[in-house]
Amino acid sequence: MNPVKKTSPRTAPIRTLRTFRRFTLLQRFEHILLVLTVLILLLTGLPQKYRSTEWSQQILSTPDRVTTVQQIHHITAIFLGVEVAFHLLNAIYLMVRRQLSADMFPSLQDIRDAWWVLLHLLYIKKGKPAFGKYNFEQKVTYWFVFFGIGILGISGLILRYPEFFTRFLPGGVIPAAKLAHSNEALVLFIFILIWHFYHVHIERFNLSIFTGWLNADDMREYHILEYRNMTGRHGDRQKSGEKKG
Amino acid sequence: MNQPHSRFKLLGFVFTLAVTLLIGLIGLDSTQQVQAAPLKQETETYCLSCHGSPELKNLTLPNGDEISLFIDPQALTMSVHSPAGIECEACHTDIKTYPHPEIDYQTARELSRSYYLACQKCHPSNYSLTLDSMHTQVAEAGNLNAPICTDCHGAHNVQSPNEPRTLISETCGRCHTEIFTQYKQSVHGAALLEGNPDVPVCTDCHGVHNIQDPRTEQFRIAEPEMCARCHADAALMGKYGLSADVYDVYSLSWHGVDLSVYKARWPTIWHDTAICSDCHGVHDILSTSDPASRVSEENLLATCQQCHPGVGPNWTGAWTGHYRISLERTPFVFYTNAFYTYFTPVILWMSGIYVILQLIRTMVDRARRSLR
Repeated sequence: MNPVKKTSPRTAPIRTLRTFRRFTLLQRFEHILLVLTVLILLLTGLPQKYRSTEWSQQILSTPDRVTTVQQIHHITAIFLGVEVAFHLLNAIYLMVRRQLSADMFPSLQDIRDAWWVLLHLLYIKKGKPAFGKYNFEQKVTYWFVFFGIGILGISGLILRYPEFFTRFLPGGVIPAAKLAHSNEALVLFIFILIWHFYHVHIERFNLSIFTGWLNADDMREYHILEYRNMTGRHGDRQKSGEKKG
Repeated sequence: MNQPHSRFKLLGFVFTLAVTLLIGLIGLDSTQQVQAAPLKQETETYCLSCHGSPELKNLTLPNGDEISLFIDPQALTMSVHSPAGIECEACHTDIKTYPHPEIDYQTARELSRSYYLACQKCHPSNYSLTLDSMHTQVAEAGNLNAPICTDCHGAHNVQSPNEPRTLISETCGRCHTEIFTQYKQSVHGAALLEGNPDVPVCTDCHGVHNIQDPRTEQFRIAEPEMCARCHADAALMGKYGLSADVYDVYSLSWHGVDLSVYKARWPTIWHDTAICSDCHGVHDILSTSDPASRVSEENLLATCQQCHPGVGPNWTGAWTGHYRISLERTPFVFYTNAFYTYFTPVILWMSGIYVILQLIRTMVDRARRSLR
């Protein structure tokens, strides 16, 4: 699959690899902010979730520390909340101005793609579907995190301001919010560990969300439709790869 | 040669005889003690020859306190001590003769506080327990009215302290009148007065001789466990149709988890996490079905507001309390719980299996390519 491998470095022809802009500076910044805030929220949230355990009591060793950790958690949550609000408003604004495509929205094609990939993984169907800017795996990640943060944000607000929320909501939402908050956080955490980390670290080491660029090889391999869009070329490397292999 | 030998024989015989007689005498003596118990009450009879008369003049102490010197012979013989052969001089160690030696007590209380020390001669462990008690602390701080053995157990008329069981709480109630009045109206106290043996009396919660200050962090932190001694006992609670789950569910609740952390880590730091008595009351605990109970439907909100000021009427619905998750009582928690019961494993298994399939496919493809 990798043509560079077969030729020795001395005789290798100079190969220029085009890179394509995949993420804007703002999007990269938003991702870093998301990573940092979620990490802090996890680190300050897990000891609170598991307060009965020894390790948690080591961390939350004094009542003052509990308060401090809670304060860090709440302040970080405000940052994340502002980021989410900005993200949504910005996305709406850009889409209204036709400056942002609706690539991220799920479609029926994603379900067909997922089915295809599943059959492919089970050796039932050959080849992979052609993906656009975001394949269904990436969309699943985005929307899972999106709704996860939504649930965490709402339940977190209920837990932070229970007196306020029970003025118009039944009291039962408080323990439900507590249950949802800690469960959702854990599901989200483990899902990111399994799903997202596999796709960006193991399947291929994909730094495009940090650098903003993706090279032509990866574009052709994983986002052929987007590649065609951006270059106007056919560039169907997958087929030639199959033949070559 | 013959003579000294026989003399030794004689000596031996006499010695053996003496030892035998001595052993016999001791044996006889001990049997006599049991058989002739009434005879041993000589001292008592002797003392009562004066003190058994109601006409005996009162003793006036320097501060003006008057002490009756009359000892009711009836009460004395009915006490636990007298029939066991424990007589006047066992406690009144300083009085051996008549006329009595001079006493230099200034007050009646001083006299009592001096004579009660004789209790430790026979009851050393209980006496040393009292040294750790709240009552001793108060006495050391200068309050000589703090109770001593005789205040609770009586002096000449000492009786078994828990017969009947109501006597225990009545004894405490002699000083702690207000609390005893409250207690008598509580679900526990009312049942006790009806002769129920299952309900706690004062000493069940406060201890007996080493009664501690119940206002400390230590008492507060241990309190739920204390209630759980009875309220987590399924057999006992089943008798009255009460749930024995209350403590377990409390331990999982917001309040309970907080308490457990304080208990494990900071037992000496005061905490405001709600414990049993904060909501149910202390000496005035009523049945939760009693409309006057602090946790009845009418009063629950006000009870919550003690710690959560300004919360609205919906607030009490947040109380998952002492009940396991159920659709009827806690529908929101029930559905949330049901959702995550399925959602969590489904998501994690699906993503896990998908990733594993991808890993397998990738590795197989790579292996195939390298083999070609």
